[in-house]
Amino acid sequence: MTVRLSADGTIELDGICTIEDAETLLRHLLAAPRATVDWRSCAQAHAAVIQVLMASKSILRGPPAGDFLRMHLEPLMKSA
Amino acid sequence: MNEFIEQFLLESRELVEQATDDLLVLEKAPADRERLDNAFRAFHTLKGGAGIVDFAAMEMAVHAAEDVLAAARSGSRPVTTRLIGDCLACLDQVVRWLDSMQGSGELPTDADMEARTLVERFLPSPAGAKSPGPLKRGSMPGNWASALLTKHSSVRAQAKTAIRYAPDPDCFFRSEDPVARIAALPGLLCLDLEPAVPWPTLDALDPFACNLVLTALSQGSVTEIVSTLGEAIDQCDVQALAHVRGTESVPLLQRTRAVLEAQISLLGEKEVQGIRGRVASAGLVAANVLRHLGRTAGADHIARATDRSLAESAPSVLRETIETTLNEVFPPVPAAASPQILHDRGARTLRVDATRIDALVNLTSELTVAKNAIGHTAKLAQDGSNALASVLKDRHAVLDRLVGELQRSVLGMRVLPLRHVFQRFPRLVRDISADLGKPANLIIEGDDTEADKVIVEMLFEPLLHVLRNAMDHGVEHASVRAAQGKPPAGTIRLRAARQGDHVVVEVSDDGRGVDVARVRQVALERNVAPDEILDAMSDTEAIDLIFAPGFSTATKVTDVSGRGVGLDAVRTAVGRLAGHVGVESRTGEGTKVRLTLPFSVMMTRVMTVEAGGQMFGIPLDAIVETVRVGMDSIVPVGGAKAIVFRNRTMPLVELAGALGVKREENKDTEATVVVARIEGHFGALQVDRLGEQMEVMLKPLDGILSGMPGIAGSTLLGDGGVLLVLDLGELLQ
Repeated sequence: MTVRLSADGTIELDGICTIEDAETLLRHLLAAPRATVDWRSCAQAHAAVIQVLMASKSILRGPPAGDFLRMHLEPLMKSA
Repeated sequence: MNEFIEQFLLESRELVEQATDDLLVLEKAPADRERLDNAFRAFHTLKGGAGIVDFAAMEMAVHAAEDVLAAARSGSRPVTTRLIGDCLACLDQVVRWLDSMQGSGELPTDADMEARTLVERFLPSPAGAKSPGPLKRGSMPGNWASALLTKHSSVRAQAKTAIRYAPDPDCFFRSEDPVARIAALPGLLCLDLEPAVPWPTLDALDPFACNLVLTALSQGSVTEIVSTLGEAIDQCDVQALAHVRGTESVPLLQRTRAVLEAQISLLGEKEVQGIRGRVASAGLVAANVLRHLGRTAGADHIARATDRSLAESAPSVLRETIETTLNEVFPPVPAAASPQILHDRGARTLRVDATRIDALVNLTSELTVAKNAIGHTAKLAQDGSNALASVLKDRHAVLDRLVGELQRSVLGMRVLPLRHVFQRFPRLVRDISADLGKPANLIIEGDDTEADKVIVEMLFEPLLHVLRNAMDHGVEHASVRAAQGKPPAGTIRLRAARQGDHVVVEVSDDGRGVDVARVRQVALERNVAPDEILDAMSDTEAIDLIFAPGFSTATKVTDVSGRGVGLDAVRTAVGRLAGHVGVESRTGEGTKVRLTLPFSVMMTRVMTVEAGGQMFGIPLDAIVETVRVGMDSIVPVGGAKAIVFRNRTMPLVELAGALGVKREENKDTEATVVVARIEGHFGALQVDRLGEQMEVMLKPLDGILSGMPGIAGSTLLGDGGVLLVLDLGELLQ
């Protein structure tokens, strides 16, 4: 699993998040709209995942592991 | 509509006209350096205008044309018919854009594709349609690219290419990952993500429909980027930034400064030839950028300096003015500037000669004096002065003169030179000539003849029709002409002249002339007139049948003139303007069509007549004479009446009866008759009494009265009554 719900209610993204993960992520966020998303171990994320993160205006805990995510996408997101 | 757009439309149209004119001359005389320079400058100014209103597509298209003209100027590219054709096509597209903007008040949204097609036309080798060539060549950053540059100013210096990727919503299903695709771009500097449509609430979000628009800046060249984007290129807009880098996002003031400096250096070059064009174009650009900033006063200042520069042929005047403007720190634009801008725009749209305004100002002061004098007269009346009548008469005479002058001045403002319509024809004749494969030269004379705006604007269609006819039916094919010893290219003359209260426009060709026998035959075949009347017609009268409804001699319908509309459409259109059309023809030598139009549509001299107890006006120019004839000379012909007058039999219409008003019982032995001539035909109108002559402003009838037959319009009389002015053409038919 690359999208996990941790014990404290944080949603964790791990490794390479694919398009399928977008749906899982969305489901978690719908259940807990204010949940923090931890993407510190996320190396890559599909556009669909990014899109869910943007649409939900989730608070992200970073920085993400992947260089591209860190350099180009983190500045566009809400950071914790 | 935004006033900059309005200004832009106005000026762009003028520039297009000027450039078309220059290009057409250039096509005939490719060595004409001045025309080439002028055309180049017109394109240059067009581009500047497009830049000011942020119309990137037009900027790109015009820039491409400007480039080839620049190459022609430097001698690295010959002036060919193809080059001229491409430039004209570019202008055509610009006109289409302008038309669309005129309608909507907005920049055309789909202009990018059209612009790109145009740019491709100008490329030396059209090979490789998918090559990024056109992108690299002419592209200017649009709004999104400049916004991106502004936002990421830190990387601006390195950015070579701007990319905008708007993937379609289904792209995820094709295993497309837009973010990964952008991440793979070489030399990526920054990335921006925006929702294509605003994000829905989370529960309505479809995670598998892509709603992202990605914009990015890269250090990679356009070629590299395009090859990396692969199939996604269809959904991308890629723009090269190299040659405009740094100019797009610097503050507006700095950009203005750069533009102004460019104009100064343009004026500073030591080039004697074509310097007038330079002054005009530099002045226009400088004034425009200032106006864009809201510096109307500065813009006006520049405009005046341009005029002075042109008048004195001294570019230094304008140059110094631009320099002073540049070095001056303007005070902030006062809030009161907006009414001035409005006023300015009004004046520009009307384009009234300043001397005409001066004349009006003088008239106003004279009218004020006259008004004061009337106050004085009123006092005299109060005191019961005996001399009142003569004083009033004097005052009336003065007022009469002043009002007359005022009327003339105001009407004078509506006057335009016929150039406005004539200048469109060289281009059209070129196209018609190419369509028909008949070479022809158009010679325009008297295009500075003036006429009322309405006349000038409505002349285009009828004239175009006559010109098409001349090209199609008049001018022979080159081989036929050569066999007859004529020069292979036909000559068409478009000539205008003022004759008294009328403007005469003639279209003559040196073609085969009208075939009278054929006209008679066709008229008979198509029942245009019964044969006994046809037989009785002189050749001149028969030729006139080409204007009859339902007549068209062309045996086969051509694209050019045979569109099911005959020359009768011309007669109708000209007739609507109270003008008339005539034709002269010499077999083998050519045809001349003459349109006679009133100078002004608004003022009509009428004579009043009385019938059935009502007053009517008859346009004076239709009246031949007024006579009293004995009742016994009116003879019944069938159900109608006719009189013989000066050896001419003409139909007689009883006005009261024709208009359906009750006739006065009249036991006179004589009848009052107005003899009129309409389109060469005589007719008589029986009235009860004749009135006076007067000059009136004719207003066409509108509303439920508009369909009333026999009435041309109405005007107000001095006593407040309404005078209906008759349309004799309809009444006597």
